[in-house]
Amino acid sequence: MEPKSPFFKESIQCLMQSPLFSSLAPSVIEEMITHCRRETWKRRRLLPMNETWQRFHILLSGRVRLSRSNPETGRMITLFLLGPGDPFCIFSLLDGKPHDVMLETLDDTSLLSLPMEEARQWLSDHPEFNCTLLPYLGEQMCNLAGLAADLALHDTETRLARLILRHVDTTALQQKHISPHLINNLSNESLAEMIGSVRVVVNRQLQHWKQEGIIDTHRGYLRVEKLDDLAQLAELRLARTAGTAPATL
Amino acid sequence: MADKNSCAALYHTHEQAEEAVRALQKTAFDVKKISIIGKGYHHEEHPIGFYDTGDRVKFWGVQGVFWDGVRGLLLGAATFWVPGLGPVVMAGPLVTSLVDALKGTVAVAGLSALGAALHSISIPKDSIIHYETALKSNHYLIIVHGDQKEAERAHGVLAASEPIDVVIHLS
Repeated sequence: MEPKSPFFKESIQCLMQSPLFSSLAPSVIEEMITHCRRETWKRRRLLPMNETWQRFHILLSGRVRLSRSNPETGRMITLFLLGPGDPFCIFSLLDGKPHDVMLETLDDTSLLSLPMEEARQWLSDHPEFNCTLLPYLGEQMCNLAGLAADLALHDTETRLARLILRHVDTTALQQKHISPHLINNLSNESLAEMIGSVRVVVNRQLQHWKQEGIIDTHRGYLRVEKLDDLAQLAELRLARTAGTAPATL
Repeated sequence: MADKNSCAALYHTHEQAEEAVRALQKTAFDVKKISIIGKGYHHEEHPIGFYDTGDRVKFWGVQGVFWDGVRGLLLGAATFWVPGLGPVVMAGPLVTSLVDALKGTVAVAGLSALGAALHSISIPKDSIIHYETALKSNHYLIIVHGDQKEAERAHGVLAASEPIDVVIHLS
């Protein structure tokens, strides 16, 4: 993307707010963006990773989910839900291989894209990027480990409570009503696919919490009314299973 | 109906836009898949219009030579007065999409007829607003329709032709 593009500044601002890129100097970010091209993908674009892994992508707006499915049963599990500032095909950046992951856009998205070879070259030219890349990868691995632990150790109610709590802005805890980010306005089916459940179970659980005043839902938008109760639900279950509450969700 | 994937590039001047179309033509792009859009005038004191004196329809205006040249290269052409934009001259497959939008078969809330036509080929709303603003400022928009590979190939050509902006839009 050329610096004269009207989307250039917008792209810099987006990356400067991303945990992965925010510690880089603006000049380094600018230089990286000049290597990229801008793309827009329509909502509900569904494609296997073997069509995307040869380019490195950074989301500028919209959400993308990476999932795996069982073609025989149609069951699907969401591995990552990505938002603005998040990269994808990052594992292919590291190992140079495609991965068995399905990619789907949940909104109209805009993104930056550059060939994987150029991304690797950029990575080797800017070792300071590793200072943020490694913690980012560590967090992604923790998220995957958390998902595996949730699926193996906890029931649906706890998993759903933990999913919502993971997406609550911790700086907004003093507010009376808190809307989770990224997962808001997702369908119940999509929420179910994030916790290894099915739509009817998630729907029933959300209705139950709504009746108890823990959450409020309106046209797909979710609002937490009693955060402490929701946290307590997750922690109670955790206390029963593991004996101690986790440091993080 | 035009293809749902595209590569769109904005240019300051009609000379740059024409050069870009010729660059695409040189690299063996199917000219039937190229659209170009611009306003038909720069100053309100110049008359614009189109006429047919028995030969073929010709564009009248300060950019008549440019638009007649483009019409000779590309498939289909149209001149419309679009509310909010004024006279819009275009050539290529997008004409069909705009006609559909004007007939009301494609309608998108909050978008002009041109916006609805662009939306029908998978261009998102924020980009449409950007393109409409650029067109109002007398810039030129070239759209190459096709599958993903064609859009990516077009990006390579158009990015080298000094556009203001070039973006791949995928459905």
